[in-house]
Amino acid sequence: MESVIKIEHINKEFKILKKREGLKGSIKDLFSRDYSTLKAVNDISMEIMPGEMVGYLGPNGAGKSTTIKMMTGILKPTSGKIIVNGKVPYTNRTQNAEDIGVVFGQRTQLWWALPVIESFNILKEIYRIDKKTYQDNLEYFDALIGAGELYQKTVRQMSLGQRTLCDILASFLHNPSVVFLDEPTIGLDVSMKSKIRELIRALNKEKGTTVILTTHDMGDVDALCSRIVIIDKGKMIYDNSIEKLRSFFGDYRTVKLKFNKKEEVMQTEALEKEAEDLQSFLKSQFKGAKSLSASVDDKWISVLLKEDEVHMMKVINCIQEKKKIRDMTLEEISTESVIKKIYEGDIQ
Amino acid sequence: MEKQNKSLKKGLRFYMHLYRMILIQDLKSKMSYRADFIISTIGMILTNLSGFAAFWILFRNFPSIKGWSYHEILFLYGFSLLAITPVQCFFDNNWSIYRMVYTGDFIKYCFRPVNLFFYFISEVFDIKGVGQFIFGVGVLAYAWNKLRIPCTPIYLFVLLMSVLSASLFMISLMNLAAATGFWIMGSAYVMIFAFKFKDYARYPITIFNPVFRFIFTFIIPIAFVAYYPSLFLVRADEVPLLTYLSPILGIMFFYLSYKVWMKGAMSYSGTGS
Ligand SMILES: Nc1ncnc2c1ncn2[C@@H]1O[C@H](COP(=O)(O)OP(=O)(O)O)[C@@H](O)[C@H]1O
Ligand SMILES: [Mg+2]
Repeated sequence: MESVIKIEHINKEFKILKKREGLKGSIKDLFSRDYSTLKAVNDISMEIMPGEMVGYLGPNGAGKSTTIKMMTGILKPTSGKIIVNGKVPYTNRTQNAEDIGVVFGQRTQLWWALPVIESFNILKEIYRIDKKTYQDNLEYFDALIGAGELYQKTVRQMSLGQRTLCDILASFLHNPSVVFLDEPTIGLDVSMKSKIRELIRALNKEKGTTVILTTHDMGDVDALCSRIVIIDKGKMIYDNSIEKLRSFFGDYRTVKLKFNKKEEVMQTEALEKEAEDLQSFLKSQFKGAKSLSASVDDKWISVLLKEDEVHMMKVINCIQEKKKIRDMTLEEISTESVIKKIYEGDIQ
Repeated sequence: MEKQNKSLKKGLRFYMHLYRMILIQDLKSKMSYRADFIISTIGMILTNLSGFAAFWILFRNFPSIKGWSYHEILFLYGFSLLAITPVQCFFDNNWSIYRMVYTGDFIKYCFRPVNLFFYFISEVFDIKGVGQFIFGVGVLAYAWNKLRIPCTPIYLFVLLMSVLSASLFMISLMNLAAATGFWIMGSAYVMIFAFKFKDYARYPITIFNPVFRFIFTFIIPIAFVAYYPSLFLVRADEVPLLTYLSPILGIMFFYLSYKVWMKGAMSYSGTGS
C-alpha cells in the first residue's frame, strides 16, 4: 500500500533575534541584528499508511506543532523531504489544502458570529462538496454525537468543548484523506475529553481517514492510537505500537500522597528532602524493586512503582506504618515520566 | 469525477459567489443584533457631524482658499468620505493583523484551499462605514447642487468610476500598512498613522507646499483619494493627466499592495502554540 505521509529526515530551524538590553541595545538592534538558531525539529522521519491513527506525543515545546505545520504546508522545512497525498505540501499550499483537514486546539476556524450550520454551508462552497456527501455527513454527525443540537448555535455562544467538537466535524466535512488535530483536548474537562476521543475514534474508523493527533496527554493516545511517535526537544525518541509501550508502562503505578504535615505551605526544598527520605526508606524495605522511586510533584509526594516488582498495596501499607497518610490519589503514568524512562533506556 | 472537479481552477465567479454568501450571512447575524446596528450607525453619523462642524467653522470665514471655493472644498470633503467607505466596510479585518500575528491566531486562515487575502478579508464586514456613507452622500449632493454640476447619467457614471478608483488608493494604503504587521511586532501604530492620512486627503493638493504635494502624490498617494479623481467633476476644464491615469494607477497600486500583503503573510509563520 502507498503511504499517505512520508517524511524523510526533516529539520526545521528558527532564527531568533537576540534582543539587546536597554535603549542603546534597541538602537544597536536596528543596525546589526544578532540571531541565534533554534532547532525545533531535528532529523525526523516517518511513514504513515492510509487509515492509521497516529498519536504524536511530547511535552510542551517538543516540536509537535512545528511538524504539523510542515505537513500542512504552511511552514517549509529547513531541509528534508515531505510528501503528503503524493505532493510536496508547501509548493502548492492552496491546492493541497483541498484534501486535508486541520484543527488547532483552541483556535476555532469557524465564523465566530454565525450559526455553525452557516459556517458549514460556506465550507461546502469552499471545498465544493457535493450535495449528497454534505447531507450525508450532516446526518452522520448528528447520529454520532447529536451534533444537530449545535448546528443552530453561533460559535460565540459555545463552550470551548462544543467549539472543538464543531471544529473537528468541520475538518471532516469534505472527506479529506488526512486530518491533523493539534492538541484537540487541551483545556477540556474529563467528560468533554472522552466525548471528543469517541468522536475522533468513530470518524477514523467509519471514514477510514488518516488521523495525526498531537497531544501531551497520555490519556488521549491510550484511548485512541494504535501507534505512537514520541518526540522531545525536536528529536524522535520513539515510534512504535502502543502495545509495546503499554507492556512496559502498564505495570507502572503512580501513587500521590500527602501526609499529616502542611505540604501546601512547605518549602520546595523541605518537600524534596522528605521525598528523598521516603525513597531511601522504601528502597531499604523493598530491595528488589529497581524502579521504585519518590519525587515531588506539585505539593504532592509522588511514588512510582512497578507492580511486577512490588505490589502497590504492600508499598502503601509500609508507608502507612511509618507515617499517617492524609490524602492519596492513584494516577496513570505521565508523559513526562514515560519520556524520562525512554531516555533512561528502559525501553527501545 | 469528484477529484477532477476539484482540480478546476477557482475563478472570479467562484469568489464573487463565496463573498456574497459570507456577506449575506454576516449581515443577517448583524441584523439580529438590531440595537447594535442602529447605535453604531448613529454613532458614526454623529462622529462625522462633529468632524464636519470643525470643518465648517474653519471654512465659513474663508470664502476661498488658494482659489478653491467653499463649495468646491465641500465637494472634495463629501467625495473623500465616499472614497474611504469601502476600506472601512470591506477591509476592516486588516486592523486585526497585528494582534493575530502576536497571538499566533493568524495561522488559522492558512489551511483553506482559497486565496488567503480573500479569505482573511472576507471574514469581516464592518457596518459602521454605512453611517459615513450616508453622510458623505448628503454632503456631496449639497455641494453638487451648489456647484451646478449637471445631474445626468454620464456625470453619475463618472462619479461612480472616480469614487471607485479613489477608494482603491485608500484600500491599498491600508493593505500596505497592515502588511507591516507581518514583519514588525505591534504595528497598530503604522495602521493608525496611515489611517490619519485620510484627513489630509480631503484638501485640494494645491494648498500644500511643493514638498508635501510631491509626497502626497507619489509617495503616500492620498491626493488620489479625493483631489485628482474628483477634478473630472469639479473642474472639468482643467483636468490633468494624473486624473485620467487615476483608475489605472489605482489598480496598479492595489495589485502592489496585495502582493506585499501576501508576501508578508507567507513569510509569517505562527508563533509556537
Ligand atoms: N515561529 C517561530 N519562531 C521561533 N521559534 C518558534 C516558532 N514556532 C515554534 N518555535 C519554537 O520551536 C519549539 C517547538 O515549538 P512547537 O512545535 O510549537 O512545540 P509543541 O507544539 O510540541 O509544544 C519551541 O521551542 C518554540 O518556542
Ligand atoms: Mg503545540
